Amino acid sequence: MRRMVLALLLPVALAGCVQTRQYADVEFTPPQGDYKLLVMRPDVSVGSVTTGGLVEPRADWTESARTKLLAAIRAQQAARGGNVLIMEKRNSLPGVDPEAVAELERLHYAVGSSIALHKYSGAYLPTKRGKGLDWTLGEDAVALGRRTGYDYALFLHAEDSFASTGRVALQVLGIAGCFVGFCAPNVGGAGQFAYASLVDLRTGEVVWFNVVSAGSQVAGIKMGDIRTDVGAAQMVDRLLDRMKPGRNVQRREHRQ
Amino acid sequence: MSWSRRAILGAGGALAAATATGVAEARVLPKDMVPLIGPGYRAVDPDEKGMWQQMERVEEEVSGSNLLIRDPQLTAYLGVLIGKVGGPAAKDMRIYLARIPEFNAVMFPTGFAVVFSGLLLRMRNEAQLAGVIAHESGHFLRKHQLRQWRDMRRKTDIFSFVAMGAGVAGGAAGVYAGDLVQLAQLGAILSLLKYNRTLEAEADAMGVRLLAEAGYDPMAMSETWEQLIAELDLSAKYRRKKRERDFALFATHPSPESRMADLKISAAEMKRPDGNYDAYRERYMSALATLRPTLLDDQVKLNDPGASQYVVNTLARDGWNGLLRFYEGEVWRLRNSQKMADEARAAQGYAAAVMYPDAPPDAWRWHGIMLLKKGRQAEARAAFAKYLQLAPNAPDAALVRQMVAG
Repeated sequence: MRRMVLALLLPVALAGCVQTRQYADVEFTPPQGDYKLLVMRPDVSVGSVTTGGLVEPRADWTESARTKLLAAIRAQQAARGGNVLIMEKRNSLPGVDPEAVAELERLHYAVGSSIALHKYSGAYLPTKRGKGLDWTLGEDAVALGRRTGYDYALFLHAEDSFASTGRVALQVLGIAGCFVGFCAPNVGGAGQFAYASLVDLRTGEVVWFNVVSAGSQVAGIKMGDIRTDVGAAQMVDRLLDRMKPGRNVQRREHRQ
Repeated sequence: MSWSRRAILGAGGALAAATATGVAEARVLPKDMVPLIGPGYRAVDPDEKGMWQQMERVEEEVSGSNLLIRDPQLTAYLGVLIGKVGGPAAKDMRIYLARIPEFNAVMFPTGFAVVFSGLLLRMRNEAQLAGVIAHESGHFLRKHQLRQWRDMRRKTDIFSFVAMGAGVAGGAAGVYAGDLVQLAQLGAILSLLKYNRTLEAEADAMGVRLLAEAGYDPMAMSETWEQLIAELDLSAKYRRKKRERDFALFATHPSPESRMADLKISAAEMKRPDGNYDAYRERYMSALATLRPTLLDDQVKLNDPGASQYVVNTLARDGWNGLLRFYEGEVWRLRNSQKMADEARAAQGYAAAVMYPDAPPDAWRWHGIMLLKKGRQAEARAAFAKYLQLAPNAPDAALVRQMVAG
């Protein structure tokens, strides 16, 4: 009997996972030393997973997650030595029209969606094969860089959700069912999804892109919580802290 | 008493058939439609606050969209209008006009509405437009998006437990419950759609009430539906199709016919006894004057000649003018059917347009081209000369000048 219970719990234990996958321009070197980084207003949303599996956005959770994430980014960048401005609003950049910032954000949304589709969702493009990350925001990004003197712009998106009490109850019922032959141990639903996109404002190119997804198949088991200091720091760490250089740069480093 | 399995199935089938053939859903009465929110309303519960926060982001994007028509006079006019039919929330609502040539308007849960330019084109007077805006206000005043979300949440919650419970119970009893669960799922979906239709009917009833209370003829709303139905019919007929009729059980909105019928009865209840109303056509025409050519242009380029012809003819019920005659010609020129002699019909449209003092410059240009094709050189030249006189800086002015000279 004990062996059977263990066998039943094994998929439960394995069900949670964290995935990150990053792509970089072949000539990308992670910013170091005295660089100037502009962090665009992070797009954050946090919600509760209802019993039926819908995500219900929560304003207070979203606000605290946004505050914690901004603080975590500030701490992380301070450790790296970069010169950083984090835009909390679209008009946080003196001398730059908020509408121009909005336009760049919308452009990035379109380009980022294209990267997600062709690099992550399986619709691979033969024309982009072996080119690392080959997307650009073009002149608009260069103009912003020239105008403000920033070297890079970082675009961030983060979602987090937590199982409601009802969802957890449903999960308990699903696991309980295993003992009568109707096994639904993986109700799931809650989890994190985030991406970061680094744009070189001197060339307009998207030089680095990273996606983090963390989910647990068992409702009630958390894979992080960006509403807390620790969870926000963990998310920023997963997203930004292990930037790998581009392929050509890595090859040259190997040869030396 | 024992029921045979067949009897139960038969009864169930009959019940389903009765629902499907649309035993009419009861009309929502305007007098029952009390606004659920007062002036300066803000989100109260956590689910509503979450929804508002997301919608504020949506409004930020909508208000910065390059699809918006930002004519300050027209925007002010729409603002005044929503102020009249917005009930207690009149001062809180915002309205954005998007350049999309479709008959539509959308209300968002935080009280901002997006009106499509195709809607403005189709309205014959201010009362009709006020009717549509009143319907949209109804969605906000009756908290429809929130109620819909809660309904969906509740039903998916129940369904999840029912499905899981059935599975577990079936597992314990050794019976496969999958078919039953699928039936329950269909039931849940149908009940969601039904709720959606109920809310639309509520917005119609609330709209009629708001319209009447603002001093407009409440009948204006059913007029609008009459126009929409006829337009869809003609559009389909020109494409040799039948107007799409959603299977009533699966529709998100009630059928246009039943909406029109209910709107008529509701309006009759709310109408003033003397029955004299001003539709404010003049005021509407002058507010829309500068935009109307663009609206007509967008419509005729949709390549939907049935709808375009219907729209032109409907507007012409209040009197033909040069602009409408010109676009009548455009409908045929763009369809360009040899069999139906569209070129001749287009030429007639242009020839009729230039008889009116308000004919747009392009009417003279196309009139000239049509004359040229018929070999009537001298008249064509005169038409081109008039075109150049009206639009000396037209992109093709140099070319036309050469044609006149040659």
